[in-house]
Amino acid sequence: MLQIEQNNLLIQKTLNERVFPDGEGHKSLDRIITDFDFTTYHISTLPDQKQLILVSIYLKCWDDLVKYGVVEYLNGKYAKYADVLSVLSSKDIESSYNYSLVLDLSQLESKDDEYKTEVIDSLSFLKRHAMAAPFEQAFARYDELAKTYANANTYSEEVQAELQNEKVLVIKYRGSDECIYIKPSFDRVTVIFSTMFQDETDKIFGKVFLQEFVDARKRSVQTAPQVLYSHKEAPLDIQNVVQGSKDDENKGYVTFVLFPRHLVKGDRRDNCISHIQFFRNYFHYHIKCSKAYMHSRMRFRVKEFLKILNRAKPENLDDEGKAIENRKTASGRRFDSGRA
Amino acid sequence: MSQSLKPYLTAVRSSLTAAICLEDFSSQLVERHNRPEIEVDNTHNPELILNPMVIARNENEKILIEPSINSVRVSIKIKQADEIEQILVHKFTRFLTSRAENFFILRRVPIKGYDISFLITNFHTEQMLKDKLVDFIIEFMEDVDKEISEMKLFLNARARVIAEAYLTPFD
Repeated sequence: MLQIEQNNLLIQKTLNERVFPDGEGHKSLDRIITDFDFTTYHISTLPDQKQLILVSIYLKCWDDLVKYGVVEYLNGKYAKYADVLSVLSSKDIESSYNYSLVLDLSQLESKDDEYKTEVIDSLSFLKRHAMAAPFEQAFARYDELAKTYANANTYSEEVQAELQNEKVLVIKYRGSDECIYIKPSFDRVTVIFSTMFQDETDKIFGKVFLQEFVDARKRSVQTAPQVLYSHKEAPLDIQNVVQGSKDDENKGYVTFVLFPRHLVKGDRRDNCISHIQFFRNYFHYHIKCSKAYMHSRMRFRVKEFLKILNRAKPENLDDEGKAIENRKTASGRRFDSGRA
Repeated sequence: MSQSLKPYLTAVRSSLTAAICLEDFSSQLVERHNRPEIEVDNTHNPELILNPMVIARNENEKILIEPSINSVRVSIKIKQADEIEQILVHKFTRFLTSRAENFFILRRVPIKGYDISFLITNFHTEQMLKDKLVDFIIEFMEDVDKEISEMKLFLNARARVIAEAYLTPFD
């Protein structure tokens, strides 16, 4: 299991059980599901109307996402299922959640199985879609810039200065210490993750891992985005927008430079968005995995050492744990141990 | 085994064999006490302590043997070339010392400047075979280095695989 699934399996399963029931009719349902980065979903049936399922999501960085048009983006994403899925307007959203949808099972029943699965799948991607909004916006801005500067001399100072002042999109997806910064330009989009390491081991493991990310491009995957890593100090592009503790020993910045080949509209762009937004999860997940492996390995090694030490113990011990000499001569006589 | 490791281990083996020559000895300070003299503070009779000895392969790898009349303290400094090895050695020794009661001869806290310490008393040598105890320490020194470098290699290999696995699907 090298890659992390982008959809939420539990949402998928819960809804599947509902949409394809194997037994008697609708029971009431109330389930809270948590996901990466302090995300919470709530799936429940409406009181008295058990054929309606309310799906709500809470995201820590919702306020940032709203700035980058997440509501419109999500509405657009779910608009094609409008006859079974209705998006609640801002005043009807479940309290303490950010976005709510209502799935009408009675409408969905008449559809074919393929359609049902599609609706469920798209709901299980709710978090991915929400986080995708700022990326979409940044990539759209890149399209604009690319068009504007297509024939301009991009090396001239004015143009460079203009590009330098391009707005940076900030998503504080885990509080102010861990953010995603996105900066579009005419020939690339720069995505920067700031991340905190919990302890010294994580930090050093993280360094090893990131070094390999940086080197991987040189070695085998030439077409991958360029990766840069800086420890403690924020890259120049985002220095004026960085918030939170600036001088933290445990903070690192990972920069991905996405080139036009990654930003081709369509599937590739979607794939790129869903892939890059899971970077932090993927990265920390693998640090934890390596730690766990080291742990089990040390456990094994310690057991081996114990075996070696136990060889030092003679096998025959008397009640006091002292060695008994019971070697025999060829004629079968015992040695006299000499101990009284 | 590398060229310089063999003489190092041979020297350690013969020094340890010579040092582990222990007898039961009751405390001269406290009546009816019997304690490892090497661990007693220097307020007591210096004739019970023998000359300590350091065998060093290089500045990062050495062993300190402190013999006394009824106990020997052996402290090992494990090679740590970079911060990854430091972390791994630290984790590994912590792992061992937290299981010290199973290891009889392991000291819970290493001597300052060393990574791991063993304390062998006359009671240990009465219960266990001296040669095998020496074997254990030698084998420990060999395996620890091997284990640490294997873990480091593994970490790098894993990092490489996951970096490539992450970056490939972009295209």
